[in-house]
Amino acid sequence: MSLLASAPKRAISRCLSHSRPLLASRSATTQSDALYVPGGPIYKGTVNDPTSFPTPSRMHGSHHWSFERLLSASLIPLTGAAFATSPSVHPVLDGILGVSLVVHSHMGFDSMLVDYLHPRKYPVLGRIATWTLRTATVGVLVGVYQFNTNDIGLTELISKVWTA
Amino acid sequence: MSLLPRLSRSFSSSATRCLATPVTQKPALNKVFKIYRWNPDEPAKKPTLQSYTIDLNQTGPMILDALIKIKNEVDPTLTFRRSCREGICGSCAMNIDGQNTLACLCRIDRNEGKESKIYPLPHMFVVKDLVPDLTLFYKQYKSIKPYLQNSEPPADGKEFLQSPEDRKKLDGMYECILCACCSTSCPSYWWNQDEYLGPATLMQAYRWIADSRDTKTAERKEVLQNEMSLYRCHTIFNCSRTCPKGLNPALAIAKIKMELAAD
Repeated sequence: MSLLASAPKRAISRCLSHSRPLLASRSATTQSDALYVPGGPIYKGTVNDPTSFPTPSRMHGSHHWSFERLLSASLIPLTGAAFATSPSVHPVLDGILGVSLVVHSHMGFDSMLVDYLHPRKYPVLGRIATWTLRTATVGVLVGVYQFNTNDIGLTELISKVWTA
Repeated sequence: MSLLPRLSRSFSSSATRCLATPVTQKPALNKVFKIYRWNPDEPAKKPTLQSYTIDLNQTGPMILDALIKIKNEVDPTLTFRRSCREGICGSCAMNIDGQNTLACLCRIDRNEGKESKIYPLPHMFVVKDLVPDLTLFYKQYKSIKPYLQNSEPPADGKEFLQSPEDRKKLDGMYECILCACCSTSCPSYWWNQDEYLGPATLMQAYRWIADSRDTKTAERKEVLQNEMSLYRCHTIFNCSRTCPKGLNPALAIAKIKMELAAD
Protein backbone atom coordinates (compact mmCIF):
# COMPACT_ATOMS: atom_id res chain seq x y z
CA MET A 1 0.00 0.00 0.00
CA SER A 2 2.85 2.39 0.76
CA LEU A 3 4.12 1.84 -2.75
CA LEU A 4 0.71 2.65 -4.17
CA ALA A 5 0.43 5.77 -2.05
CA SER A 6 3.72 7.14 -3.31
CA ALA A 7 2.93 6.35 -6.90
CA PRO A 8 -0.12 8.40 -7.95
CA LYS A 9 1.80 11.41 -9.16
CA ARG A 10 3.94 9.27 -11.40
CA ALA A 11 0.88 7.45 -12.61
CA ILE A 12 -0.84 10.69 -13.59
CA SER A 13 2.17 11.98 -15.48
CA ARG A 14 2.36 8.69 -17.35
CA CYS A 15 -1.29 8.80 -18.27
CA LEU A 16 -1.00 12.34 -19.58
CA SER A 17 2.16 11.88 -21.58
CA HIS A 18 0.96 8.68 -23.32
CA SER A 19 4.33 7.07 -22.84
CA ARG A 20 5.36 3.90 -24.64
CA PRO A 21 3.99 0.55 -23.44
CA LEU A 22 5.44 -0.37 -20.08
CA LEU A 23 6.09 -3.77 -18.65
CA ALA A 24 3.61 -4.18 -15.83
CA SER A 25 1.71 -6.98 -14.22
CA ARG A 26 -2.06 -7.27 -14.32
CA SER A 27 -2.37 -5.86 -10.81
CA ALA A 28 -0.73 -2.60 -11.81
CA THR A 29 -3.58 -1.59 -14.14
CA THR A 30 -4.15 1.77 -12.51
CA GLN A 31 -0.49 2.77 -12.54
CA SER A 32 0.72 2.22 -16.07
CA ASP A 33 -0.34 3.78 -19.33
CA ALA A 34 -0.35 0.46 -21.15
CA LEU A 35 -0.99 -2.90 -19.62
CA TYR A 36 1.31 -5.62 -20.84
CA VAL A 37 0.46 -9.25 -20.25
CA PRO A 38 3.18 -11.63 -21.52
CA GLY A 39 2.02 -12.91 -24.89
CA GLY A 40 -1.17 -10.95 -24.52
CA PRO A 41 -2.62 -7.72 -25.83
CA ILE A 42 -1.21 -4.26 -25.24
CA TYR A 43 -3.89 -1.77 -24.26
CA LYS A 44 -3.47 1.98 -24.40
CA GLY A 45 -4.70 3.43 -21.12
CA THR A 46 -6.69 1.42 -18.63
CA VAL A 47 -9.27 -1.16 -19.59
CA ASN A 48 -11.98 1.45 -19.01
CA ASP A 49 -10.55 4.03 -21.43
CA PRO A 50 -11.98 4.12 -24.93
CA THR A 51 -9.67 3.55 -27.89
CA SER A 52 -8.56 6.70 -29.69
CA PHE A 53 -9.08 7.71 -33.31
CA PRO A 54 -6.37 8.87 -35.73
CA THR A 55 -6.41 12.51 -36.84
CA PRO A 56 -9.35 12.97 -39.22
CA SER A 57 -8.38 13.36 -42.87
CA ARG A 58 -10.89 13.28 -45.70
CA MET A 59 -8.14 12.57 -48.21
CA HIS A 60 -7.51 9.26 -46.44
CA GLY A 61 -11.18 8.76 -45.65
CA SER A 62 -14.20 9.47 -47.80
CA HIS A 63 -12.43 11.19 -50.72
CA HIS A 64 -10.10 8.23 -51.15
CA TRP A 65 -13.04 5.81 -51.04
CA SER A 66 -15.21 7.84 -53.44
CA PHE A 67 -12.36 8.22 -55.91
CA GLU A 68 -11.58 4.52 -55.77
CA ARG A 69 -15.21 3.53 -56.36
CA LEU A 70 -15.78 6.05 -59.16
CA LEU A 71 -12.56 4.93 -60.85
CA SER A 72 -13.55 1.26 -60.61
CA ALA A 73 -17.01 2.01 -62.00
CA SER A 74 -15.67 4.17 -64.83
CA LEU A 75 -13.28 1.42 -65.92
CA ILE A 76 -16.24 -0.62 -67.18
CA PRO A 77 -17.45 1.89 -69.83
CA LEU A 78 -13.83 2.83 -70.57
CA THR A 79 -12.93 -0.77 -71.35
CA GLY A 80 -16.09 -1.11 -73.45
CA ALA A 81 -15.27 2.09 -75.36
CA ALA A 82 -11.71 0.93 -76.02
CA PHE A 83 -13.10 -2.39 -77.24
CA ALA A 84 -15.58 -0.71 -79.56
CA THR A 85 -13.42 2.05 -81.04
CA SER A 86 -10.13 2.06 -82.85
CA PRO A 87 -7.19 3.15 -80.64
CA SER A 88 -5.39 4.82 -83.53
CA VAL A 89 -8.39 7.11 -84.04
CA HIS A 90 -8.87 7.87 -80.33
CA PRO A 91 -5.39 7.97 -78.75
CA VAL A 92 -6.70 10.08 -75.82
CA LEU A 93 -9.14 7.34 -74.86
CA ASP A 94 -6.30 4.84 -75.01
CA GLY A 95 -4.23 7.10 -72.76
CA ILE A 96 -7.05 7.56 -70.23
CA LEU A 97 -7.57 3.81 -70.09
CA GLY A 98 -3.85 3.25 -69.53
CA VAL A 99 -3.65 5.76 -66.69
CA SER A 100 -6.92 4.59 -65.06
CA LEU A 101 -5.85 0.95 -65.09
CA VAL A 102 -2.51 1.75 -63.49
CA VAL A 103 -4.00 4.04 -60.83
CA HIS A 104 -6.71 1.45 -60.12
CA SER A 105 -4.17 -1.32 -59.58
CA HIS A 106 -1.98 1.02 -57.52
CA MET A 107 -4.85 1.69 -55.14
CA GLY A 108 -5.62 -2.03 -54.94
CA PHE A 109 -2.04 -2.93 -54.07
CA ASP A 110 -1.80 -0.02 -51.66
CA SER A 111 -4.90 -1.30 -49.86
CA MET A 112 -3.20 -4.68 -49.46
CA LEU A 113 -0.10 -3.03 -48.01
CA VAL A 114 -2.20 -1.06 -45.51
CA ASP A 115 -3.93 -4.31 -44.53
CA TYR A 116 -0.94 -6.59 -44.23
CA LEU A 117 2.25 -4.50 -44.10
CA HIS A 118 1.21 -1.35 -42.27
CA PRO A 119 4.20 0.73 -41.11
CA ARG A 120 2.87 0.72 -37.52
CA LYS A 121 3.51 -3.02 -37.42
CA TYR A 122 6.34 -3.29 -39.97
CA PRO A 123 8.25 -0.01 -39.72
CA VAL A 124 10.99 -1.10 -42.13
CA LEU A 125 9.39 -3.68 -44.42
CA GLY A 126 6.16 -1.69 -44.69
CA ARG A 127 7.94 1.48 -45.85
CA ILE A 128 10.11 -0.48 -48.28
CA ALA A 129 6.98 -2.09 -49.74
CA THR A 130 5.12 1.21 -50.01
CA TRP A 131 7.99 2.92 -51.81
CA THR A 132 8.54 -0.10 -54.05
CA LEU A 133 4.89 0.12 -55.07
CA ARG A 134 5.15 3.86 -55.73
CA THR A 135 8.29 3.38 -57.82
CA ALA A 136 6.70 0.55 -59.75
CA THR A 137 3.56 2.60 -60.44
CA VAL A 138 5.55 5.56 -61.72
CA GLY A 139 7.68 3.20 -63.82
CA VAL A 140 4.61 1.55 -65.32
CA LEU A 141 3.01 4.94 -66.03
CA VAL A 142 6.14 6.07 -67.88
CA GLY A 143 6.26 2.75 -69.71
CA VAL A 144 2.60 2.94 -70.74
CA TYR A 145 3.14 6.54 -71.93
CA GLN A 146 6.13 5.51 -74.02
CA PHE A 147 4.30 2.47 -75.37
CA ASN A 148 1.25 4.52 -76.29
CA THR A 149 3.17 7.34 -77.98
CA ASN A 150 6.02 5.48 -79.69
CA ASP A 151 4.47 2.05 -80.26
CA ILE A 152 1.07 0.49 -81.03
CA GLY A 153 -0.49 1.26 -77.60
CA LEU A 154 -2.31 -0.81 -74.99
CA THR A 155 -5.60 -1.49 -76.74
CA GLU A 156 -3.94 -2.42 -80.01
CA LEU A 157 -1.59 -4.79 -78.14
CA ILE A 158 -4.48 -6.57 -76.44
CA SER A 159 -6.45 -6.90 -79.67
CA LYS A 160 -3.36 -8.28 -81.40
CA VAL A 161 -2.67 -10.78 -78.61
CA TRP A 162 -6.37 -11.72 -78.63
CA THR A 163 -6.37 -12.57 -82.32
CA ALA A 164 -2.87 -14.04 -82.39
CA MET B 1 -63.95 -53.44 -21.56
CA SER B 2 -66.11 -50.61 -20.35
CA LEU B 3 -65.85 -47.12 -21.71
CA LEU B 4 -65.10 -45.35 -18.45
CA PRO B 5 -61.48 -46.41 -17.84
CA ARG B 6 -60.60 -45.72 -21.44
CA LEU B 7 -62.19 -42.29 -21.24
CA SER B 8 -60.44 -41.37 -18.01
CA ARG B 9 -57.16 -42.58 -19.42
CA SER B 10 -57.49 -40.26 -22.39
CA PHE B 11 -57.75 -37.28 -20.04
CA SER B 12 -54.57 -38.06 -18.13
CA SER B 13 -51.17 -37.65 -19.69
CA SER B 14 -49.03 -40.70 -20.24
CA ALA B 15 -47.70 -42.33 -17.10
CA THR B 16 -44.09 -42.39 -18.18
CA ARG B 17 -44.14 -38.67 -18.93
CA CYS B 18 -45.09 -37.93 -15.31
CA LEU B 19 -42.01 -39.62 -13.91
CA ALA B 20 -38.79 -37.77 -13.25
CA THR B 21 -36.71 -40.60 -14.66
CA PRO B 22 -37.83 -42.04 -17.95
CA VAL B 23 -38.97 -45.63 -17.81
CA THR B 24 -38.17 -46.56 -21.37
CA GLN B 25 -34.58 -45.52 -22.02
CA LYS B 26 -33.82 -44.34 -25.53
CA PRO B 27 -30.76 -46.00 -27.06
CA ALA B 28 -27.55 -44.06 -26.42
CA LEU B 29 -26.64 -41.63 -29.16
CA ASN B 30 -23.01 -40.97 -28.40
CA LYS B 31 -21.41 -37.99 -30.05
CA VAL B 32 -17.85 -36.72 -29.75
CA PHE B 33 -17.27 -33.05 -28.94
CA LYS B 34 -13.76 -31.74 -29.50
CA ILE B 35 -13.24 -28.66 -27.39
CA TYR B 36 -10.35 -26.20 -27.36
CA ARG B 37 -8.57 -26.25 -24.01
CA TRP B 38 -5.95 -23.85 -22.75
CA ASN B 39 -5.12 -23.17 -19.15
CA PRO B 40 -3.37 -19.90 -18.24
CA ASP B 41 -1.98 -21.56 -15.10
CA GLU B 42 0.13 -23.78 -17.36
CA PRO B 43 1.37 -21.26 -19.91
CA ALA B 44 4.09 -23.57 -21.22
CA LYS B 45 1.52 -26.15 -22.31
CA LYS B 46 0.21 -25.69 -25.81
CA PRO B 47 -3.55 -25.40 -26.41
CA THR B 48 -5.13 -28.78 -27.18
CA LEU B 49 -8.39 -30.16 -28.46
CA GLN B 50 -9.94 -32.37 -25.82
CA SER B 51 -12.54 -34.96 -26.78
CA TYR B 52 -15.68 -35.56 -24.76
CA THR B 53 -18.27 -38.17 -25.61
CA ILE B 54 -21.80 -37.61 -24.37
CA ASP B 55 -25.16 -39.23 -24.98
CA LEU B 56 -27.31 -36.84 -26.98
CA ASN B 57 -30.48 -38.55 -25.75
CA GLN B 58 -29.57 -37.45 -22.23
CA THR B 59 -28.76 -33.89 -23.32
CA GLY B 60 -30.72 -30.82 -24.33
CA PRO B 61 -30.89 -29.86 -27.99
CA MET B 62 -28.37 -27.03 -28.04
CA ILE B 63 -24.56 -26.91 -27.96
CA LEU B 64 -24.75 -24.97 -24.70
CA ASP B 65 -26.70 -27.85 -23.13
CA ALA B 66 -23.90 -30.20 -24.13
CA LEU B 67 -21.25 -27.85 -22.71
CA ILE B 68 -23.12 -27.54 -19.42
CA LYS B 69 -23.55 -31.31 -19.27
CA ILE B 70 -19.84 -31.81 -19.84
CA LYS B 71 -18.99 -29.26 -17.16
CA ASN B 72 -21.47 -30.75 -14.69
CA GLU B 73 -20.83 -34.41 -15.24
CA VAL B 74 -17.52 -34.97 -16.99
CA ASP B 75 -14.99 -32.19 -16.52
CA PRO B 76 -15.65 -29.30 -14.12
CA THR B 77 -12.48 -27.51 -15.27
CA LEU B 78 -14.02 -26.74 -18.70
CA THR B 79 -14.45 -22.97 -18.80
CA PHE B 80 -16.93 -20.99 -20.89
CA ARG B 81 -19.20 -17.97 -20.52
CA ARG B 82 -22.95 -18.38 -20.46
CA SER B 83 -25.84 -16.60 -18.89
CA CYS B 84 -29.32 -16.32 -20.37
CA ARG B 85 -29.39 -19.54 -22.49
CA GLU B 86 -31.85 -17.89 -24.89
CA GLY B 87 -29.74 -15.74 -27.20
CA ILE B 88 -30.18 -12.32 -25.62
CA CYS B 89 -27.07 -11.88 -23.45
CA GLY B 90 -24.39 -12.74 -26.00
CA SER B 91 -22.13 -14.42 -23.44
CA CYS B 92 -21.81 -17.83 -25.06
CA ALA B 93 -20.43 -16.62 -28.41
CA MET B 94 -17.93 -19.16 -29.71
CA ASN B 95 -16.76 -20.84 -32.88
CA ILE B 96 -18.80 -24.00 -33.39
CA ASP B 97 -17.94 -26.20 -36.37
CA GLY B 98 -16.23 -23.30 -38.06
CA GLN B 99 -18.99 -20.76 -37.57
CA ASN B 100 -19.11 -18.01 -34.98
CA THR B 101 -22.42 -18.29 -33.22
CA LEU B 102 -24.10 -18.40 -29.84
CA ALA B 103 -23.87 -21.85 -28.27
CA CYS B 104 -27.37 -21.43 -26.85
CA LEU B 105 -28.88 -20.83 -30.32
CA CYS B 106 -26.87 -23.52 -32.10
CA ARG B 107 -28.51 -26.92 -32.40
CA ILE B 108 -26.35 -30.00 -31.97
CA ASP B 109 -25.89 -31.86 -35.22
CA ARG B 110 -27.40 -35.25 -34.33
CA ASN B 111 -25.20 -37.11 -36.79
CA GLU B 112 -23.19 -39.20 -34.33
CA GLY B 113 -20.54 -40.08 -36.90
CA LYS B 114 -19.53 -36.44 -37.14
CA GLU B 115 -17.67 -34.85 -34.27
CA SER B 116 -18.38 -31.25 -33.29
CA LYS B 117 -15.43 -28.92 -32.87
CA ILE B 118 -15.76 -25.97 -30.52
CA TYR B 119 -13.21 -23.17 -30.39
CA PRO B 120 -13.22 -19.74 -28.75
CA LEU B 121 -13.93 -16.73 -30.99
CA PRO B 122 -11.16 -16.64 -33.60
CA HIS B 123 -8.17 -14.32 -33.46
CA MET B 124 -8.86 -13.04 -29.96
CA PHE B 125 -6.60 -13.43 -26.96
CA VAL B 126 -7.80 -16.33 -24.87
CA VAL B 127 -8.36 -15.95 -21.14
CA LYS B 128 -9.08 -19.65 -20.62
CA ASP B 129 -10.56 -22.45 -22.74
CA LEU B 130 -13.56 -20.91 -24.55
CA VAL B 131 -13.33 -17.50 -22.89
CA PRO B 132 -11.91 -14.78 -25.18
CA ASP B 133 -10.56 -11.46 -23.97
CA LEU B 134 -13.06 -8.86 -25.22
CA THR B 135 -11.44 -5.86 -23.51
CA LEU B 136 -10.40 -4.18 -26.78
CA PHE B 137 -13.83 -4.86 -28.29
CA TYR B 138 -15.48 -3.02 -25.39
CA LYS B 139 -12.92 -0.21 -25.48
CA GLN B 140 -13.72 0.29 -29.16
CA TYR B 141 -17.44 0.25 -28.45
CA LYS B 142 -16.89 2.93 -25.83
CA SER B 143 -14.91 5.05 -28.30
CA ILE B 144 -17.94 5.63 -30.57
CA LYS B 145 -19.86 7.13 -27.62
CA PRO B 146 -22.83 4.75 -27.71
CA TYR B 147 -25.30 7.06 -26.00
CA LEU B 148 -27.63 9.90 -26.98
CA GLN B 149 -25.81 13.22 -27.34
CA ASN B 150 -28.14 16.18 -27.51
CA SER B 151 -27.27 19.45 -25.83
CA GLU B 152 -30.72 20.99 -26.29
CA PRO B 153 -33.42 20.03 -23.81
CA PRO B 154 -36.44 18.15 -25.20
CA ALA B 155 -39.19 20.40 -26.59
CA ASP B 156 -41.79 19.18 -24.11
CA GLY B 157 -39.28 19.09 -21.27
CA LYS B 158 -39.74 15.35 -20.84
CA GLU B 159 -38.47 13.29 -23.73
CA PHE B 160 -37.08 13.52 -27.26
CA LEU B 161 -39.84 12.62 -29.67
CA GLN B 162 -39.27 10.78 -32.92
CA SER B 163 -41.47 10.08 -35.94
CA PRO B 164 -42.30 6.43 -36.68
CA GLU B 165 -40.24 6.70 -39.88
CA ASP B 166 -37.18 7.90 -37.98
CA ARG B 167 -37.67 5.16 -35.42
CA LYS B 168 -37.80 2.61 -38.20
CA LYS B 169 -34.25 3.53 -39.26
CA LEU B 170 -32.96 2.02 -36.02
CA ASP B 171 -34.58 -1.37 -36.62
CA GLY B 172 -32.02 -4.04 -37.35
CA MET B 173 -29.35 -2.13 -35.41
CA TYR B 174 -30.60 -1.62 -31.88
CA GLU B 175 -31.14 -5.39 -31.54
CA CYS B 176 -27.39 -6.01 -31.53
CA ILE B 177 -26.31 -7.76 -28.33
CA LEU B 178 -22.56 -7.19 -28.84
CA CYS B 179 -21.67 -10.87 -28.78
CA ALA B 180 -18.66 -10.10 -31.05
CA CYS B 181 -19.47 -12.96 -33.45
CA CYS B 182 -19.39 -10.59 -36.46
CA SER B 183 -16.26 -8.67 -35.54
CA THR B 184 -14.26 -11.82 -34.85
CA SER B 185 -15.37 -13.35 -38.15
CA CYS B 186 -13.98 -10.41 -40.13
CA PRO B 187 -10.50 -11.00 -41.63
CA SER B 188 -9.87 -7.26 -41.64
CA TYR B 189 -10.59 -7.23 -37.92
CA TRP B 190 -8.21 -10.16 -37.43
CA TRP B 191 -5.29 -8.34 -39.04
CA ASN B 192 -5.98 -4.78 -37.88
CA GLN B 193 -8.15 -4.96 -34.79
CA ASP B 194 -6.05 -2.39 -32.93
CA GLU B 195 -7.11 0.30 -35.45
CA TYR B 196 -10.14 -1.02 -37.36
CA LEU B 197 -13.33 -0.82 -35.34
CA GLY B 198 -14.97 -3.96 -36.71
CA PRO B 199 -18.54 -4.57 -37.87
CA ALA B 200 -20.25 -4.66 -34.47
CA THR B 201 -18.84 -1.32 -33.34
CA LEU B 202 -19.40 0.28 -36.75
CA MET B 203 -23.02 -0.80 -36.81
CA GLN B 204 -23.51 0.79 -33.41
CA ALA B 205 -21.71 3.91 -34.68
CA TYR B 206 -24.27 4.08 -37.47
CA ARG B 207 -27.08 3.36 -35.03
CA TRP B 208 -26.26 6.72 -33.39
CA ILE B 209 -25.52 8.50 -36.68
CA ALA B 210 -28.95 7.45 -37.95
CA ASP B 211 -30.74 8.46 -34.75
CA SER B 212 -32.85 11.57 -35.43
CA ARG B 213 -32.65 12.66 -31.77
CA ASP B 214 -28.85 12.81 -31.74
CA THR B 215 -27.29 16.19 -32.59
CA LYS B 216 -23.62 15.15 -32.73
CA THR B 217 -23.95 13.39 -36.09
CA ALA B 218 -21.24 15.50 -37.73
CA GLU B 219 -18.73 14.74 -34.96
CA ARG B 220 -19.61 11.05 -35.07
CA LYS B 221 -18.92 10.99 -38.81
CA GLU B 222 -15.76 13.09 -38.56
CA VAL B 223 -13.89 10.63 -36.32
CA LEU B 224 -14.34 7.90 -38.94
CA GLN B 225 -12.61 10.00 -41.61
CA ASN B 226 -9.34 8.08 -41.69
CA GLU B 227 -8.07 5.06 -43.52
CA MET B 228 -8.20 2.63 -40.59
CA SER B 229 -11.31 3.00 -38.40
CA LEU B 230 -13.93 2.44 -41.10
CA TYR B 231 -12.29 1.93 -44.47
CA ARG B 232 -10.57 -1.36 -43.60
CA CYS B 233 -13.98 -2.87 -44.38
CA HIS B 234 -13.57 -4.59 -47.73
CA THR B 235 -17.18 -5.84 -47.94
CA ILE B 236 -16.30 -9.43 -47.17
CA PHE B 237 -19.79 -9.97 -45.64
CA ASN B 238 -18.66 -12.55 -43.07
CA CYS B 239 -20.33 -10.31 -40.47
CA SER B 240 -23.81 -10.53 -41.98
CA ARG B 241 -23.39 -14.21 -42.70
CA THR B 242 -22.45 -15.16 -39.17
CA CYS B 243 -24.69 -12.88 -37.06
CA PRO B 244 -26.67 -15.18 -34.73
CA LYS B 245 -29.35 -12.50 -34.39
CA GLY B 246 -29.81 -12.23 -38.17
CA LEU B 247 -28.71 -8.59 -38.34
CA ASN B 248 -26.82 -7.00 -41.22
CA PRO B 249 -23.72 -5.07 -40.07
CA ALA B 250 -22.38 -4.89 -43.64
CA LEU B 251 -25.42 -2.85 -44.70
CA ALA B 252 -24.88 -0.40 -41.84
CA ILE B 253 -21.21 0.00 -42.83
CA ALA B 254 -22.21 0.57 -46.46
CA LYS B 255 -24.62 3.28 -45.29
CA ILE B 256 -21.87 4.99 -43.27
CA LYS B 257 -19.65 4.95 -46.35
CA MET B 258 -22.41 6.47 -48.48
CA GLU B 259 -23.12 9.19 -45.91
CA LEU B 260 -19.44 10.04 -45.54
CA ALA B 261 -19.04 10.18 -49.32
CA ALA B 262 -22.05 12.52 -49.59
CA ASP B 263 -20.72 14.83 -46.86
